[in-house]
Amino acid sequence: MIFITFNTVSELACFLAGLIFLFKDKDPAWRLLIWYLLFTCIVEVAGIYIRTSLHVSNIPLYNLSVIPECFVTSYFFYSLYKTYHPKIKWLIIWLSIFLIMYFTELILNHFNNFVSITASVMSVVFVLASLYYYYLKLKDEHFERLLFYAPFWWVSGTLFFYFGSTACNLFFDYLIKYPSISYEFSIRYIIFCILDVILYSFWSYAFICRYLQRKSYS
Amino acid sequence: MQISSEEIIFLIGLTSIIFLIAPCFLILYVLSYNRRKKKHLEEKVWLKTTFENELLKTQMEVQEQTLKTVANDLHDNIGQLLSLITITLSTIDLEENSKIASKITLTDDLTRRSINELKALSRLLHGEELISKGLAAAIEFELEWLKRSERYEISFERNNFKSVVDSGKETMVFRLFQECINNIIQHAKASKIVIILEQDNSSFKLTISDDGIGFNVDEKLNLKMGMGLYNIKRRAAMINGTATITSIPGNGSVIAITVPSNQ
Repeated sequence: MIFITFNTVSELACFLAGLIFLFKDKDPAWRLLIWYLLFTCIVEVAGIYIRTSLHVSNIPLYNLSVIPECFVTSYFFYSLYKTYHPKIKWLIIWLSIFLIMYFTELILNHFNNFVSITASVMSVVFVLASLYYYYLKLKDEHFERLLFYAPFWWVSGTLFFYFGSTACNLFFDYLIKYPSISYEFSIRYIIFCILDVILYSFWSYAFICRYLQRKSYS
Repeated sequence: MQISSEEIIFLIGLTSIIFLIAPCFLILYVLSYNRRKKKHLEEKVWLKTTFENELLKTQMEVQEQTLKTVANDLHDNIGQLLSLITITLSTIDLEENSKIASKITLTDDLTRRSINELKALSRLLHGEELISKGLAAAIEFELEWLKRSERYEISFERNNFKSVVDSGKETMVFRLFQECINNIIQHAKASKIVIILEQDNSSFKLTISDDGIGFNVDEKLNLKMGMGLYNIKRRAAMINGTATITSIPGNGSVIAITVPSNQ
């Protein structure tokens, strides 16, 4: 029962939605999300297991999961910008900066703490990437029915998640000292539960839209 | 002053809520802008369709005008010539040898004139081909036809006018020109018509003036009937141009059509 949380349920539901609706998708970026969601589910369950059964810190596991998170999300944004002819060099530059920052912080923390600064910077970059996508959409003369447009909802979910988690990221060091102050769950846990539910709901809806779009074209 | 941990927790919670509300409004903004974009695109399509319909109508009107001229010419000119030929031929008396030669010469002359008239009509029937040779050439040809009536003193000036890239615009302007000339023939009682076609870097201007009886511009514009002055203004606006109509009763009228060249 300990494995059934808001996070695990929403991640699993989104993974299943991805598996059903994206399995036959022709775009590798969308198909990659299935593997990414599977990875997220495994990390989440493993994180709970390590913390509750092995009674050791699961921070190294979450530190490790930041890399695929950054790579997959960045690549997906890059694939969304494809229509607007983005330059691959920006993706490479960003990923290089990320890796340098990540390993520097990891070494400075002696592999003991969460790479919060890197995660914060990553959040900010993804928020900017989402806003830039909106800007491109507003500028684009080509009309899309956004209510049923999968990339729009994927970006919206991402924006909610990374923008909403900014406060938590900024106060990460403080929050980690006081994991649960006056509530059963810490404020960080509650906020991330809400953000996860929003993110995976949006993504699941995006997968449905993607499926319907693919069906209508075939 | 020390801030308690509860206050910080509250602050983080509040900030997170605000950070969640902000994207909501952003998404709503993008969605509403997108709806406006859709509306704008629909309007653009509608305008394009309207313009195409109007252009088609204009082309048909140019053809109609040509056919009217052909019909009038067949009736008034070629018809008369052929009747004269018939009459001349019927009056030939084979026993009056002295008159036969002169009558045959007259018939020959009338036949040649009929052939020339038919050739001119044939050229006129290729109205669309005429516009493809350029606006100035089309106006010139139309005026040549009008000069044959010998009712008007006509002057046509081309100041720096070369060509207009958009053939649709040329057709529209040519039709406006035809309608202005029609109005002069039907209502103006003019003896002199002056046409000036000029061009600068950004636009071209067609000015048609006459020395006729003139009219009250506001009164005629309010009629909004048929291919009147209101329609001249409306059609000029469709090609992003303007039509300025100036007239004083008793002192003739001036219609100036200005159209941007590159839009």
